[in-house]
This record gives sequence, C-alpha cells and structure tokens, in this order.
Amino acid sequence: MNRQGLEGYAGGMEARFPGRIRRVGYNHNEIHFHLEDPRDAPGICGHVHASMKARLATVVCTDERRHGNGFVIRYVFEKEGEDAFIFIIVPLGHGNSFPSIILHVPGASLYEREIRDMFGLVPAGNPDTRPLVLHEHWPGDAYPLRKDFRLGTKAGRREGVYPFLRVEGDGICEIPVGPVHAGIIEPGHFRFSVLGENIINLETRLFYAHKGIEKLAESMAPEEIVRLAERISGDESVANSTAYCQAVEKILEIRVPERAKKIRTVFAELERAYNHVGTLGGMATDAGFAFGAARMGILKERLMSLNEALCGSRILFGVNRIGGVVPDIGQENKELILGRIGVILRDFDKVAGLLGSKSSFMDRLKDAGRIPKKAARDLGIVGVAARCAGIDLDTRRDHPYAGYNIRNGRTPQEVVRDQIEMEKRAGDAMARYEIRINEVRDSFGIILGLLDLDGDGLCGEVPERMEPYQSALGYAESHRGQTLHWVMTGEDNSIFRYKVRTASFCNWQIMGHCVSSDIVPDFPLVNKSLDLSYSGNDL
Amino acid sequence: MGGSGDILGNRLEARAKDGLVRFPCGACPSVAGRYEEIGSELREKIAKMFGRSLAIREVDAGSCNGCEIEISALNNPVYDIERFGIRFVSSPRHADVLLVTGPVSRNMEAALRRTYEAIPSPKIVVAVGACAADGGIFGDTYATAGGVGRVVPADVYIPGCPPRPELLLQGLLLAINRLRQEPGGRGQASSGLARS
Ligand code: SF4
Repeated sequence: MNRQGLEGYAGGMEARFPGRIRRVGYNHNEIHFHLEDPRDAPGICGHVHASMKARLATVVCTDERRHGNGFVIRYVFEKEGEDAFIFIIVPLGHGNSFPSIILHVPGASLYEREIRDMFGLVPAGNPDTRPLVLHEHWPGDAYPLRKDFRLGTKAGRREGVYPFLRVEGDGICEIPVGPVHAGIIEPGHFRFSVLGENIINLETRLFYAHKGIEKLAESMAPEEIVRLAERISGDESVANSTAYCQAVEKILEIRVPERAKKIRTVFAELERAYNHVGTLGGMATDAGFAFGAARMGILKERLMSLNEALCGSRILFGVNRIGGVVPDIGQENKELILGRIGVILRDFDKVAGLLGSKSSFMDRLKDAGRIPKKAARDLGIVGVAARCAGIDLDTRRDHPYAGYNIRNGRTPQEVVRDQIEMEKRAGDAMARYEIRINEVRDSFGIILGLLDLDGDGLCGEVPERMEPYQSALGYAESHRGQTLHWVMTGEDNSIFRYKVRTASFCNWQIMGHCVSSDIVPDFPLVNKSLDLSYSGNDL
Repeated sequence: MGGSGDILGNRLEARAKDGLVRFPCGACPSVAGRYEEIGSELREKIAKMFGRSLAIREVDAGSCNGCEIEISALNNPVYDIERFGIRFVSSPRHADVLLVTGPVSRNMEAALRRTYEAIPSPKIVVAVGACAADGGIFGDTYATAGGVGRVVPADVYIPGCPPRPELLLQGLLLAINRLRQEPGGRGQASSGLARS
C-alpha cells in the first residue's frame, strides 16, 4: 500500500484516539503507532481489530531496557484486503506487566503467554496462567529472551505437573497421547476427554521441540540465520528463509534482481507442491487407503528428486541468501523442470481422479474436522485452514512479494467467482482436500509461467554494514499459510531480535475447535488434513 | 570421537570457507545409488541375526522435521524398507533399534529417556542427522542438550542435514555390524562403540 493510503489510517486513528498516539512512523507497507500509555493498548488494538478489520498477525516483545525503553511490545495487525500492516507499539517503561488485550482480540492469548514465559512479563487479565513454551520443569525465574539471559544457561529442573483442563462427568475418560507418537511424526501431546468415542474436549500441548531459535539468532551472523530459518521447519525451508531474507532486504533496501526473484518463487512453489502431495498421501494413509497413499508417495518422491537435481537438496535447503538465491536455473534445468512437471502433473491428475472416485475415502473426509468460520476469524487462522472455512487469505496475493503477480492475474469476474466459491466452503477435511488438490495444480502452473527467466543476476548488492536498530517485517506463504518474520538489527552487524511466527502457531489453536463433533478415530485424519508443523510452532 | 568426528569435521571445514555454515545435505558420494546393494546386505544380516525382522522405534527429540521427511521416505514405495525386513513400530516395547533425530530439546529429554528405558535389551541407539550428533545448527543451549549422546548412549551417528535414504540404510547396517562385534553375538551394544 502506498504512503498516502497509510497516512489515511493515521488521520483516522488520531481523530479516534486524540492525544493517545505519541508518534506515527512509516516503513514500506507498515504503519507504526507509538502509544504513550500501555493502558490504552487494549482499546486501541480492539479498534484496529474490529473496526478497521485487521487480523492480529503477530505480537513481538523486545527487551530494550538498555536503551531506556524498558520492554516494548508491538502488536502487528494485517489489514484485510490491503497490503498494509498496522503496528501498535507499546513501551512498558519500568513495568513488568502489561494489560492483556484478549477481551478485544481473542487471538492474542497464546502470544501473551509466550511473552510471559520468554520475557517474564505478566499479561494482566489473561486468565490462562499456565506456562506455554517452557514446560513445568523450568525454574520460575529465568527468562530466555531477556538480554541478560545467556544462551548457554543450563537452568535447574524442578518438579511440576501441567494442569490440563479437566472434563468431569459420568462416563468421561481421558486419553493422553504423546509426546512420542505411534508413527514417524513430531512430538506433541494431545489430551482427549471422551464420552465413548465422541471427543468432548481436546487439549493440545506443544513446545516439546522448542530449540531456542529466536535466542540463537541473536548470537549468529545475519547470513548464517538464513540457514537457521530454513531449519525452523524442514519442510518449509524456502518459505521461512524467504520471509527472513525479505525482512533483511527490506531493512537494507537491497534490490533483488528479477531473475533471483523468479527463481525464489519457483523453489517456493516446488516446496508447496511436494508438501501438498505428501499431505494428500498422508490423508489417504489415515483414511486407510494404502494404494492411494502409495501413488501419492511416489509422486512426492519424484518431486523431491527434482528438488535435488535443481539445488542439491531434496528438501530445498540452501536455496536462499540475503539479496537473492544460490542456485541458478539454466537452460538445462529449465528443460528438466518442463519435462518432469509435465509428467508428474499427468500422473497427479490420474491419482487425484482415483482418490476422488473412491467413496470409502471421500466419505471419511466429509464433515470431519469442521472448522467454525467465526472461531477461525477470531483466532487469526491462516493458509489452507482459513481458506477451507471460506476466509480468503493468501499472502502471495495480499502482499505480493518475490515473483508473485497473482492479483493482477484476476479479472473482476474471477474475483466474484472466487468469492462465491469461498462462501460455499464447509471447513471440513474434504474442503481441505479439494483445496490442496487445486493448489498443487496452481503451483505447477505458476512454476511453468515463471520459467522465462531474463537478466542474469542471482544476487543484489548487499551493503557491508547494517544500521543498528532498524526493523522490518518479512513474510511468505508456505503450504501451511502465512509465515511472518520480524527482524531488528543490532550493533556490529548483528540481529537484535528475530521474531518468527509461522502458520502453525496460528493454526494449532483451531485444532480443539474443529474436532469437537468428531470421534477419536477421525483425529489422525483431521490432524493430517490440517498438516501443521510442531517444530515451526515450537521454535 | 571417530564417528561423530566425521560430521564435526565436515561442518568445521565448511564453516572455514566463508564463515557460513554449510551443512552437507547428506549427499555422501560413497552411498549414492547404492540403496539396493546396501539393502540386500542388510536383509541378509537381519535374517541371520534378528530372525528376519528388525524393529525400529523412531523418536523426534526436537528435530526441524527435515530428518523425519527422509526417514518417512524409507516407507514410500520407491525405497520400501520393509522388503529388507525393517519395520517402524509404534511401541518401544517391540523395538530393537531406537532411531533418534534432533539435538534433544530440553522439553523432550524425559520422554526420550523413558522411551529408551522402555525398549528391551539388547538395543541399539542410532542418532540421525547433524543435530543428533552435536546439536548441529541448534548447538548446546538453554533449550537443547546438544546431541543425543548427552541423554541416551548412542551407538552410531549418521551424518547429514538431513541424511538421504541411502545413508540412513548404511547407518543401520553399521549399527547391526557393531552389534555383531560384541562378544556373545547378540549382546547389548554398549555406548561409544561407533565412536571408539
Ligand atoms: S540434522 Fe538438519 S534436517 Fe535433521 S533435524 Fe537437524 S537441522 Fe533438521
């Protein structure tokens, strides 16, 4: 969005909250409102969320005590339908608590609990006082993201029990699952309260894979963090490294060559495609349709070997760098892509036809794991999970980046048609299945459309030095949805704060809501159809 | 530290080049294209030593899920590891091998230890990936133990970030070979075998 549009917001806000806004700042598509008094935060955030129709995209806390600001909290909202991010910036001064905004913005709860664990600040008014990131064995007085906490600290252990929500009543029992699961999947704990086979309540406990990524980044060189970003979630390596690189490129005003942008996009779509195919296969497995799963498994393997042929890594590690990309796509590889994708797409259509023709498979998907649209909106769900419930969000279109040019590709008629499509979506596993099938085809289409690579630059000019305390937001749409990375530079070419919010962090919240009318045996299928990352959530 | 030294050596060398950490993506030339060959050797050994079937329990101890992608690939129809007599089982009680990924996050330490204890002896622990060796890119921090060996006795380390399927198979072969060297045949693989 252009400066004028953002200034329009500033006028509106100042008129609505006279004297409450100390300063307004601009940074590309971001508008920053610096508040005077933390107590104004809930009301102002509520206004932005409800009246300005903006989704809470992330909440970033920084420890700026050394600079005299105390702790600072930034609430980041994403304006629906506009390329604009609205920051509400609240310096806490010397206080160690901040007013909770969850009564106005329900989706803020997890962020507030995260801030309490990592910074030791108390969200006054948030009724959920349980730990989130640091489990019960963590001592009560060590806060990893404070600047005076050393990365290598080995904090002592203490005994503790996590108070799960108890459902009581005749015939209700609990089924605890995890963190070690039956299959080859990531660690997480699910606590089902069931009556017979019906799920009465599901509580998800995560952060078993918490590796301290944000803290670690503060000790790494900016270009090393690209490799770290890839490992936030191995299957989202391109999306996360793209988001990080774009944040740094925005700060440093690096001009990324057109060719590099297109190559980045080709790899991003390859990533989306191989993962969607994998998820479709996983859904077939969990519905007990082994043949369909095997066929999808073969396609995924072929896509992964294409990945390897193009960049040396089967899961696309090493594609991005600050300012551009590492691997080129020369004539030979272009032909390789054209040839292989042609064949894969043909087979994909056959397998999709096969799955769609099996009523025993399709019946399992219907109505399973239905996402309620209102909850999805309130909690700020993104990606396929939002789209399946009729919420039309796609970072590639809403905030065009890299080589994406999706919005311009739609005629007004197509926009209306898409809106009608959205309204029809049921939010169940079937809707997610259909969306994934379509998105795989779209990805192949986007890739083929980007192969007319011109120019020859793979990397823009990267300045030697970074100005300290500059910040920017980077974003990308992975196969799971929007991934949002906020970067602030520090002294001596370091990173002062790296805040990562992947799609999984948003979407895990919906799990409990969407299985509430399912039976236990449907859970694996519903879980797979949402395809969330644990590592990407836990960081 | 022969076994893990390999991986560390690789990383250090790569780090020296331009100050960037470039992890080897598991493209280890000695195994590329040798999947079938390694598999048949493994099948023969498994037939002799384990009555035709080797059961693996996999635990993600805080990996980035990259290693899981490759481990799951072993089950797809292209690699189809079951034809060599190798099966991923859902209970540690059924397992011969504990396959662990990740630097062992603090929040997974207890679960990993308990899974290890639940596996009947003799058992082999195989640590998969750069993270499992020494913490990899995630290192040894407030949130991680800095490698599987710090929490349970690891017998074999498979390098790579992530290791490709051939390399995983090679690692399993190495693991059961180590087991055979133990006096008394199918004895408990003691920690540090691969490292000595
Ligand atoms: S070794 Fe690499 S791929 Fe495996 S878990 Fe660690 S970072 Fe991920």
